[in-house]
Amino acid sequence: MKSSSRFTANSMNWRKAEMAMGQHNLGTVISFEFFRTIKKRGFVIATLALPVILVLIFALVYASNASTKDTAAAQKSARFAFTYTDASGIIVPAAAKLAGGTVAGDPAAAIAAVKDGTSEAYFAYPADPAKESVKVYGADKGMFENDKYQAVAKELLAVSAQNQVGSPELTAALTGAVKFDSQTFKDGSVAPGVGGIIPPLLFLVVFYISMILLSNQMLNSTLEEKENRVTEMILTTLNPTTLITGKIISLFAVGLVQILVFLAPVGLAYLFFRDRLALPEVDLSSLVFEPGPMITGALLTLGGFTVFTGVLVAIGAIMPTAKEAGTVFGPLVAMMFIPFYTFSLIISNPGALIVQIFTYFPLTAPVTALLRNGFGTLNPVEATIVVVELFVVGTLILRLAVHLFRYGSIEYGRKLSIAGTFRRNELAAK
Amino acid sequence: MGETAQEPLVHIQDFRMDFGDTTVIRDLSFDVHAGETFGFLGSNGSGKTTTLRALLGIYRPTAGTLHIGGKVFEPRDGASLGYLPEERGLYKKEHVLDVMVYFGRLKGLSKATARSWSEDYLERVGLAGKAKTRLDKLSSGQQQKVQLGVTIMNNPGLLILDEPTKGFDPVNRRLLMDIIEEHKRAGATVIMVTHQMEEVERLCDRVILLKDGVSRAYGTVEEVQEEFGGTVYRVTHDGPLPASALFDVVSQENGRAELSPRPGATEESVLLALVDAGAGIRSFTPARISLDEIFIQVYGEQHELAEG
Repeated sequence: MKSSSRFTANSMNWRKAEMAMGQHNLGTVISFEFFRTIKKRGFVIATLALPVILVLIFALVYASNASTKDTAAAQKSARFAFTYTDASGIIVPAAAKLAGGTVAGDPAAAIAAVKDGTSEAYFAYPADPAKESVKVYGADKGMFENDKYQAVAKELLAVSAQNQVGSPELTAALTGAVKFDSQTFKDGSVAPGVGGIIPPLLFLVVFYISMILLSNQMLNSTLEEKENRVTEMILTTLNPTTLITGKIISLFAVGLVQILVFLAPVGLAYLFFRDRLALPEVDLSSLVFEPGPMITGALLTLGGFTVFTGVLVAIGAIMPTAKEAGTVFGPLVAMMFIPFYTFSLIISNPGALIVQIFTYFPLTAPVTALLRNGFGTLNPVEATIVVVELFVVGTLILRLAVHLFRYGSIEYGRKLSIAGTFRRNELAAK
Repeated sequence: MGETAQEPLVHIQDFRMDFGDTTVIRDLSFDVHAGETFGFLGSNGSGKTTTLRALLGIYRPTAGTLHIGGKVFEPRDGASLGYLPEERGLYKKEHVLDVMVYFGRLKGLSKATARSWSEDYLERVGLAGKAKTRLDKLSSGQQQKVQLGVTIMNNPGLLILDEPTKGFDPVNRRLLMDIIEEHKRAGATVIMVTHQMEEVERLCDRVILLKDGVSRAYGTVEEVQEEFGGTVYRVTHDGPLPASALFDVVSQENGRAELSPRPGATEESVLLALVDAGAGIRSFTPARISLDEIFIQVYGEQHELAEG
């Protein structure tokens, strides 16, 4: 066996040895925790499953939309023989003839002809199309192809109307096919509107995604030392604060990897196949990134992350097994969703008692405050209080979690008494 | 008690440990000197593991001084410590080499050195082909070898082994003993908690015997033996052993007996008394009282009290 630098056994060399100990342990923990997580087969499958499903869905939507679009175009320009009657006088006979229509003398006979299959379709335009419906009769061609009758009847009416009016602009105005751009002002400047709401609300999305992806891993990563009885080996080489900090940072990095993997297909689809996938047309130039709400959003997200992380680590330290920890985990996750029950109040009446409670209760504060921040109902004073509260409570809970980990993780197979750990500490301090 | 002028590597003074209203260690004091092998003895629940945990900063002591190298132990001192706890385990779902390199890194080794050391160790213990295998896929004995490797990584100057042979198969027990002797020869300090008194007599320079959190014997093995009766006579005999005012029969089984001389009795007088009584003595060997016997004496009192 090769021999590395050996420490001979005396006090002097013991001290030299401790000096030789580098300050690299945080980096070592982060690296170990990160790579062992992303190398797990379960993680790879779970992480890749969503993008694969998304790609499959996009492919199906792409194929469906391509055919739907083609079908719609084909339906509008479909050419088939039909009869029609026009009580309104709007239909231009030449346009009808061009579309394949001929005037029917007797509506009842025309309907009978469709019924017995001698005519493919019959359209009955009423005297006043604004008040009465246009009756469309056709031979059944299946659910999707049947739409062509109505499409042709509608197109014929539109072409005829335009022909009557003589102006495409007036036709557009009359049919409501006109775009509107609204602008509102606040304190003399253009108010950001929806474009100002979306960016700070993205922090809520980030918070949810990170917690949903990482919370279970946080819970289990601290339980692992306990279940594997590796704690004593760890505690004699590593400060528990360093271990917990390393775990949190590595999990955050793991979460970022997952988010990037999840978003990759969406981003690619948006960039290259947007028109074929019916993705919403987002005009990024309309987004307004106001510094106040953005900074508040970032701080609330970080603060909320700290609080929930601390609580999860503490649960991991107290509970003897992952199974038992799961019973507490459920209600904790529910705390992230409870504020949505008061969603309308959060937006319309932020002063309501329940909204105020949710704003300041540490486990509901992140989501409630992020929502209020996005919709502009969280004033700077409230924002400051909540941010400070989250960081203070989060730090305290993390310290408690480290304390519980220190004592709880060597209570192998037993549930930890929190009070017991403090009694032990109190006695130790005497 | 063999104190030297050199500062002890491990110094424990007036150590007390309370858990709630229960005092599990009281006024415990002892030193371990650099380069010696120290036996930490006592029955289950006597406070040995608690003392080690307090020494290593896992528990905070209620009172007293617990120093390693002249100061309270901190995790960053772990570079020169090899600790094999009573409760053992590693990251079972990770690969053997990854776990060893991780602990090597935590002990201050570079990644390359940790990897190289681990590969050499695995080769030595016949696990070279298992480096990329998950720990939970190894047999219990193989896992023990890995655990040992993690303990002695970085060739620590201080080895603390809490019941090192507990759960070990004979092959790994031999490996462990070889490793302890290697480190001992290389000048390392070894503290071992064990119930195997033969190992203590073979390996340890000094011992402490703990009972209910209180030291009952402390010193070199010879000093402790002297304190608990010094010399005994091991005899093999064909005839019956007589009752005598010169000795007590400590043990007797299948023609073998251990006799403890009473004050004033000499080797010659005891032998003469046996011969005169027609005990059919075939051999008569003066020897030290075994640690096993001392252990039974100390804990026997408790047993007798409980029975009383």
